[in-house]
Amino acid sequence: MRNLFRPAARERELDEELRAYVDVAVQARVAAGMGAAEARRTVMAQMGKVDTVKEEVRAVRAGAGLESLGRDLALALRQLRRAPAFAAAVVATLALAIGANAAVFSVIQAVLLAPPAYREPDRLMVIWSNLDLAGYKRAPLSGPELLDLREQARGFQDIAAIWTTTAQISGEGEPEQLRVGLVSANFFSLLGVEPRLGRNFEPTEEGQGAPRVVILSDALWRRRFGADPGVVGRTVHMDGGSVTVVGVAPPELRLAFAPDANVPPELQAFAPFPSDHARDPRDQYYLRTVGRLSSGVSPAEAEREIAEIGARMEAEHTEYDASGRSFFAVGLQDDAVRPVRPVLLTLLGTVGLLLLLACVNVANLLIGRELARREQMAVRAALGATRGRLVRQVMVETLVLASLGLLAGLAVGQALLHLLVAFRPAALSRFGLERISLDAPVLAFSAGVGLVAAVVVSLVGLRGAMRHDLEAVLRGAGRSGDDAPRRRMRRLLVVSQVALGTILLVGAGLLVRSFIALTQVDPGFHADRVLTFRLSLPRGRYRSVAASTEFARRLEDRLRALPGVEEVGAVSALPFDDLPNWSTPYTYDGVDPKSRGGREADARSVSPGWFETIGAKLVAGRGFEEADDGAGPPVVIVDERLAEKAWPGRDAIGQRLQVDFVTDQGFVPTWARVVGVVRHIRHRDLTEVVREQVYVPHRQSPRNPMAWALRTKGETRVEEATIRRIVAQLDGELPVYDVRPLLAYVGDAQGRARFTMVLCAAFAALALLLAAIGIYGVMSYSVTRRRREIGVRLALGARAGQVRRAVLGDGLRLAGTGLVVGLVGAALLTRAAASLLYAVSPLDPFTYAAVAAGLAAVAALASWAPARRATRFEPIEVLRSE
Amino acid sequence: MATGKSDLLQGTLDLLILRTLSLGPLHGYGVSQRLQQLTRGVFHVNAGTFFPALYRLEEQGFLAAKWGRSENNRRARFYSLTRAGEKRLAHETRNWETVATAIGRVLRATEA
Repeated sequence: MRNLFRPAARERELDEELRAYVDVAVQARVAAGMGAAEARRTVMAQMGKVDTVKEEVRAVRAGAGLESLGRDLALALRQLRRAPAFAAAVVATLALAIGANAAVFSVIQAVLLAPPAYREPDRLMVIWSNLDLAGYKRAPLSGPELLDLREQARGFQDIAAIWTTTAQISGEGEPEQLRVGLVSANFFSLLGVEPRLGRNFEPTEEGQGAPRVVILSDALWRRRFGADPGVVGRTVHMDGGSVTVVGVAPPELRLAFAPDANVPPELQAFAPFPSDHARDPRDQYYLRTVGRLSSGVSPAEAEREIAEIGARMEAEHTEYDASGRSFFAVGLQDDAVRPVRPVLLTLLGTVGLLLLLACVNVANLLIGRELARREQMAVRAALGATRGRLVRQVMVETLVLASLGLLAGLAVGQALLHLLVAFRPAALSRFGLERISLDAPVLAFSAGVGLVAAVVVSLVGLRGAMRHDLEAVLRGAGRSGDDAPRRRMRRLLVVSQVALGTILLVGAGLLVRSFIALTQVDPGFHADRVLTFRLSLPRGRYRSVAASTEFARRLEDRLRALPGVEEVGAVSALPFDDLPNWSTPYTYDGVDPKSRGGREADARSVSPGWFETIGAKLVAGRGFEEADDGAGPPVVIVDERLAEKAWPGRDAIGQRLQVDFVTDQGFVPTWARVVGVVRHIRHRDLTEVVREQVYVPHRQSPRNPMAWALRTKGETRVEEATIRRIVAQLDGELPVYDVRPLLAYVGDAQGRARFTMVLCAAFAALALLLAAIGIYGVMSYSVTRRRREIGVRLALGARAGQVRRAVLGDGLRLAGTGLVVGLVGAALLTRAAASLLYAVSPLDPFTYAAVAAGLAAVAALASWAPARRATRFEPIEVLRSE
Repeated sequence: MATGKSDLLQGTLDLLILRTLSLGPLHGYGVSQRLQQLTRGVFHVNAGTFFPALYRLEEQGFLAAKWGRSENNRRARFYSLTRAGEKRLAHETRNWETVATAIGRVLRATEA
């Protein structure tokens, strides 16, 4: 122990003892008659270099580990510098695997593991309704439903609701369009979110005739109000009216709803509902709800209660007839992460396999190095280096490699994390990933991974070092006889590398196929060369249908007059945008008008030019015309699904359909004549047809905001500034926002698939590279080792081709074994990712065959160079050197 | 750490050091001188292997060391055998005799 704690004192003792030894030896010689100078010279010559003696002594000391760690490190670094390719390969392999794990785990930590920043988030549940027969599986609630649930559900302390809209803020600077959350007064207090300034809403501030108040988001407060602490109590102008600021939300506030709730994670302002829920129609579904469980009530109990209340309500109200309606409650976080969970778990599985593969690869590299260093180690052992010393050296060397790998891995992880965040799909954007970093738990995880890797690596190294004993030396270190177990081990490692690589490649292949299938989905419109932007007309100045029609006609005329613009159209919600979906119950002649519940269609308000602008196909009848305005009779266009459902085998044109129109009196169920049928447009989900669709004419039923779209000719580009100028000429106070090509929205819809595919493909490519390196390494070594045998064969007249074929065959056999194992593994594992696949089976034969062929080619390539080298041996030289 | 059977040369030196010290405590130079005398110069003690062997035996608990005064009054480190060292010596001596007898038989057999 004193060696550990008092290394300096030990060193002094050693010095003194050696000095004393020399002095005594010299004295003895002088006493025997030798001259003093000569005596000292003789003794020193006999002793050899004092430093060498000291070094050897230090080496045998127990506990010398800490003391000589510096020297061991230096030695390890020197050794590694002499084998830069080896060191680089090990460090790079570890770095990539650890980096990938750290980055993916960071995202998982932020999204799946970290609960949203609310009070007791696991006590929060969202409540959806399922209009099963209408094909609307996750529908929001209506006002009366919310009130019923609040009253009846004992399992919930309280239930809050939110709906998003837009509003224009003006005065003090440029007018600006805000995304506003209309919330129930209890929304923030239920979540347990305290404002950073001011107060939460009071119950008296919700409903018809209540004073208008607003809570600003932290970002808006900073940007537009210069973080003025005196903002509370001030009056601002929103949509032309005066609103009092009562609070500022905390900066960390994020709304953790599922993507299909269409509640963006960040809104710029919040206001209480300005209307009474009791007066809402029971079948107008727009409220996204979240409830807090009563104390002592388990989520399962609450789920059951909600389902029972739903069944009771369905029986009591005719609005639900034939809808198959039910209610369900689900944990807030579970609901929010549902769409990204399979993506992240697949990524985790992928990087996990990659890490395994990396460890195998490093082990393989180490064995290779150890085989190459066998003679060196044996000689050192023979020269008196103790086994402990050799083991420690190998340990230190592998630990140095592992530490370098860990350090580099953290750098790689940081870079990869930036990429992950930059390319994250919209579904992941909801989780505040801009602020993500490799944080403490993630660092702990990476360190753990690094440690496991180091231990694996060290064990392999240790096994090797322990074998180098004198017996090996005596049996002749120069001969490569006794490494059969390690050779078998290496071949086994290569087989597992290929197997792991195969699994990753098959997974990536399936995702690539899915993505290709996804890009080939015909969404029912053409997004290319279409530029879109949004405008919101303040309710104050554009109160009537006639006023907004007037504005739209003038705007569209001016846009159409722009050079290179072919078509101009407007729509209430763009395909794949994140506005709340608008759906309407519908009924038609021949069904009981009381039972509207079973029929719900996505509704869009569109201008006469809309279908032409996006290249949607009219199947029958006509599109809307400017004559379909307030002066004309109400008309609608339906998609082919609705036509088929309502009037199977009959002509839909001319039929009467009742849907909600937005009129000067608000939402009014209106009987309208069907004038056209269009092909179904996929506007919410690329992968499935969700619901039937109905289109109402903007000139009869406008919505706010609207999106305008321009289709241009060829290469023409319309500048954002041009659009802003035109709008400003019509109305100087209208903010233009969300200027984006329609293609960008389609890209968003493909985002999740693209994200998963790109990452898995990248990791699989890495795996393929590692497997190829593994095969190459083993074949190279095998050829070198069999130099003598090959030389003899060549000398005996074997043709080069035969030798080449033998080496190639050996490599292919290794790869083939791994391939078979990997294909079986892939068949078992890819099932887990089935929910990420689209239009391709987890057992897709094409993918499996392609991976098999690809791997065989890579294996052949990796064995080719060693095979060629084998035939270049000069038989005579080989035999002589043995 | 136990010394493995393969460490043939080291083992031999260890045995000789233990035997030398079984006659009484000695400092480093004394041990080396005594060894040379006892082997009549056949074993030439090299400091590069000798000191490591001394320190190793001390670490293994077979030797104890303390500072004292040499015969000509110099400060020197004196080594003596511990109980474990005595057992070790007995054990190694038996081993050596077995091996030496066996090798001797073989050598005589081939000479005959």
